[in-house]
Amino acid sequence: MREIMAVVYREYLVRITGLTWMFFDLAVPLLYLLMFGVAFDRALGQGLSVGGQPISYNSFFLAGVLSMTCFGNALNTSYGFFVDRDNGILFEFLTYPMTRGQFLLGKILFQCAMTVLQSMLTISVSAVLLGVSVPWHLILFVLAAMIIGTAGWFFFLSIFAFLIRRNDTFNLVINVIYFVLMFLSSVFYPLERVPIWLRTVAMANPLSWHSDVLRFLTLGVGELQSILLEVAGFILFLLVSFWVAIRALQKAL
Amino acid sequence: MDTTPAIEVSALVKVFAKRDKRTIRAVDGLSFQVPKGSIFGLLGPNGAGKTTTIRILTTLLAPTGGEARVMGYDVVQNPLAVRRQICVVVQESAIELHLSVQNNFRVFGRFHGLLADEIQRRTDRVSELFGLSEYLNEKGMDLSGGLKRRVQVAKTFLIDKPVVFLDEATTGMDTFNKRATIQAVKEESQKGRTIVLTTHVLDEAEVLCDSIAIMNHGKLVAQGSVDSVKAYGLRMMSLSMSLTEVSPSTIELVRTYQPISIDIKNTTLDITVKDDSTVLAILTAVRQHTEVRHFEITTASLEDVFIQLLDKKARTA
Repeated sequence: MREIMAVVYREYLVRITGLTWMFFDLAVPLLYLLMFGVAFDRALGQGLSVGGQPISYNSFFLAGVLSMTCFGNALNTSYGFFVDRDNGILFEFLTYPMTRGQFLLGKILFQCAMTVLQSMLTISVSAVLLGVSVPWHLILFVLAAMIIGTAGWFFFLSIFAFLIRRNDTFNLVINVIYFVLMFLSSVFYPLERVPIWLRTVAMANPLSWHSDVLRFLTLGVGELQSILLEVAGFILFLLVSFWVAIRALQKAL
Repeated sequence: MDTTPAIEVSALVKVFAKRDKRTIRAVDGLSFQVPKGSIFGLLGPNGAGKTTTIRILTTLLAPTGGEARVMGYDVVQNPLAVRRQICVVVQESAIELHLSVQNNFRVFGRFHGLLADEIQRRTDRVSELFGLSEYLNEKGMDLSGGLKRRVQVAKTFLIDKPVVFLDEATTGMDTFNKRATIQAVKEESQKGRTIVLTTHVLDEAEVLCDSIAIMNHGKLVAQGSVDSVKAYGLRMMSLSMSLTEVSPSTIELVRTYQPISIDIKNTTLDITVKDDSTVLAILTAVRQHTEVRHFEITTASLEDVFIQLLDKKARTA
C-alpha cells in the first residue's frame, strides 16, 4: 500500500502545481451539462421518454456527463504517460521498488479521487441549478460506479499510450476512439428509437454499459437483470484491460 | 562471510526485433561478476550494449537468454526484490519538470520508503554535497541541463540501497559537479555500496573503478581490474617527446616502427606503441635523427588500451 500511496502523493504534487488544469478538470463536466444539456433540454421541449417514463433531457444527460467524466479523466491520466516518457522519468519510476500493477493502481487512485470530487460537484449543481432529481440515498453506488468507470477506461486507454510511441498518433487514435465510442453509445440519447444496427453496436460498447448503470442509479430506468449484466461486463472489461496494460507497459520499455 | 557477488551476469543475451524483421543482438553472451562494495565500470563505444545491460539489471528489460542476478535475486524471477536493492540514474534526463527540486527529493524519498523528517534531513545533506541548496525551490523546468542531471544523481544518494547504477551519470555536468559526483561515488563505495557505472569518459573510469569490463557489439572485449585490463594492451607504452622541430622525415622514421598511434602537437610527439622495446628503439632512432629536448615514457592510459582493444576486435571481425 505504501508504494501505491507514493504514486498518489506524486500525482497530487504534480496536479496541485497546475491549478488552472485542476479548475478545468473539475469544471468541464459541469460546463457540458450546463451548455449542451440545457440547449438540448430546451430544443426537445417535451423531454424524452425512456422505458415509458417521461424525463427531462437534463436528467437523462446527467448519467451521460458522468460517464464522459470518467472517460475524460482516464484519457488525461493515460496521456500523462507521454509526458513522463518525454521527461525520462517514466523509466526511472519503473526501477522504483514497486510492481507495474502498483504503479498503475496508484496513478488511477488519485484520478478516482478527482472523479469523486467532479461527480459530487456535477450532481450537486445539476440538482440545484437544473432541478434534476437526485436519488441521494444511492449516491455511494453512483460514486462506486464512477470509480470503476474511471479505472476501466484508464487501463484501456493506457494500452494505447504504452504501445503507441508518437504523441500525435496517440492523439489521432484516441480522437477516433472517443468519437466512435461516444456517439455509438447511450451517452447522448436513448437507444430505443435508433436504427437496429446502431443499437446493436451501442449495446456492445462498454461506454453504453457504464452510462446505463449510472442512469439506472440516477433515474431508475432499466431492467435490474440487464443492468447487472452490464456491471459484470464492465468489470470484466476493466480486469482484461488491466492485465493487458501491465503487459503493454513491460513491452513498451 | 557472505561471498555472494552483488551482481552476477551469466551468458546474457538480448535480441531486439526490428520493424523490418531484422534482429539485433544488443547483448551477446555477456558474463561478469561484481563483488559487493566495489565500483564497476562498464565501458564501450556507442551501441556496445552497455545501456541494454543496465536496463536488464535494473528490471526495465527482460533478457532473451542467460541469467542476471542482483544481490542474489534473479532479475526475471524476482524483479521486485531486485528493485528493492537498487537505485538508478537512467541514461535519459529524468526529473519531474513541474515539481520543485525539494519536491523531486520528497517524491523520490517517499517511493523508497523514507518518512518526511528523514527525507528533509537527507535532502539538506545531498543538496549541500551537490551544490543544490540554492535551487531547492526552483521548478525542474527552470533548471539548466547540467543542474537537472545533478538533481537526478543527487537523488540516488538520498537513499541507502546496496547497489547503485549510474548510466552516463556525469553527462552534461561541469567539472566541479563531476568532481563532486566522483567524490560521492567513492564515499558511498567505501560505506559498502556497490556502484555500477557506464561512461564514455575513460579517465573517469580509471580514477573511480576497482574493476571494469569493456564491451563492443554486445560482447565482452576485456574484463578485470583497471591495471589488468591495461595489461591486455600487451605492455603498451606511451612515449612523449619534445623535439626542436618535427619534420616529415622524423614522422616517417617513427612510422617505420608501426606505432599504435601518433599525436603531433607543435613540437611534441605523443606515440603509443605495443611494448617497451619499441619505445626504446624509437627513442634511440629519433635521437640520432634530431635533437630531443625532453622525453617521458609512461604505461598506456586506459583510453589507449580501449582504442587498441576495439580496433583489434574490429580487425578480427
